Amino acid sequence: MRPMEFHEPATLDAAAALLAADGEARCLAGGATLVAMMNARLVEPSALVSLRRIEELRGIDAEGDGFCIGAMTPHRVTAADGRLAGGHAVVREAAAVIANPSVRNMGTMGGSIAFADPAADYPPALVAIGAEIEIVARDGQRRIGAADFFTDWYETVLGPGELISAIHLPGAPAGAVGVYDKLARVEGDFATASAAVVLAMAGDACSHLSIAVGGCGPTPLRLAEAESALIGSGLDAEAVQRAGEMLAQASDPVDDVRASADYRRLVIPRLVARAISRAITGARAVL
Amino acid sequence: MKIEDSFIVQASRDRVWAAIIDPARIAPCIPGCESIEISGPNCYRARVSFAVGPIKASFNLEVEVTEETPPSFVASTTRGEEGTRASVLTAHNELHLVTLEDGSTEVRYVSDVSIVGRLGRFGLGVMKKKAAALGVEFAEAFRARVEQDEAA
Repeated sequence: MRPMEFHEPATLDAAAALLAADGEARCLAGGATLVAMMNARLVEPSALVSLRRIEELRGIDAEGDGFCIGAMTPHRVTAADGRLAGGHAVVREAAAVIANPSVRNMGTMGGSIAFADPAADYPPALVAIGAEIEIVARDGQRRIGAADFFTDWYETVLGPGELISAIHLPGAPAGAVGVYDKLARVEGDFATASAAVVLAMAGDACSHLSIAVGGCGPTPLRLAEAESALIGSGLDAEAVQRAGEMLAQASDPVDDVRASADYRRLVIPRLVARAISRAITGARAVL
Repeated sequence: MKIEDSFIVQASRDRVWAAIIDPARIAPCIPGCESIEISGPNCYRARVSFAVGPIKASFNLEVEVTEETPPSFVASTTRGEEGTRASVLTAHNELHLVTLEDGSTEVRYVSDVSIVGRLGRFGLGVMKKKAAALGVEFAEAFRARVEQDEAA
């Protein structure tokens, strides 16, 4: 085992400078995933840059009609923030079902999405709400939509020397309801499959809808045809089933210890229908 | 895990065969292949690197050709390990070349790979997707190479 350096910078600039200086260095956020991976000898960074002391990376702030969530905000804080209501509740619900209380205390949103586990809970929720990921490097910062942030199995657009500083949630349509539904073998497991839905109703017709399926491909799956087929409709069971089948058709799941790929394709329509049904109930209550 | 695929090369079977058995021509087509050398009769030694997200791996592979029927069939076994023996990879590979009606050649391959050790702990489902993607990358590179040689 080779020696490893450990840094605890107090500012974002200092963290970015450390990452720029060593291409093999990795950020340590909550450590929920990285430390487990290091224990399994799956990753062996030359240095860890702990983000724990950087105050500006913590907390959730209102930002226009939306929110700015610091990358180091633990899942527990996100899950308990009642301001994440309406459409934004999709992110709160996702945070609430991640793993177990210990992990929700340690793990952070930035750390989770940087690892980009396709079965993790935040990715589909952030894609459904249309979040933007703020990325910082020594020579500046950029923002990228969540749908473009995740690029492949466990891969993101993050390049060497870059770290996530914040996640911006845009304003959601008036009356929107966000729902995150997850199918897991046991409570606290990664998703076998999951569905994140943000929906608004105008009378009996759907006026806004985004659906992102998690755990069934390299990145969260959103399908414009499935959504446009439902927007403007009354969301009757048959139409919802057809949209779910379109998503299942477009998915690219793996066979693994949690379920077979075929099983995942089978449950996608049911999971999507369940999430939409719960969102409709919520939207009616808002009206 | 079993990786199975096929692709078509616009060249005669003899030309495709000549490229398949030439390490100098095939090595640049293998994604992550850093070096390849002949280590004995029907034996090759190769160094191949790949990454899945944050996990990087580099294998020293020994490939032995166990059966060969020019210009249509070759079977081989691959054994390899990471430098620190953290993971061990074994594979049995078969490759068929079939002449199609239009004179082009279909390359069919099937590889049964097993990995034990640290990488074995990582989901094999994702490994299989990654391996399939590398197979497609290889097919693209190999086809381009042979068709370019054909045109020259």
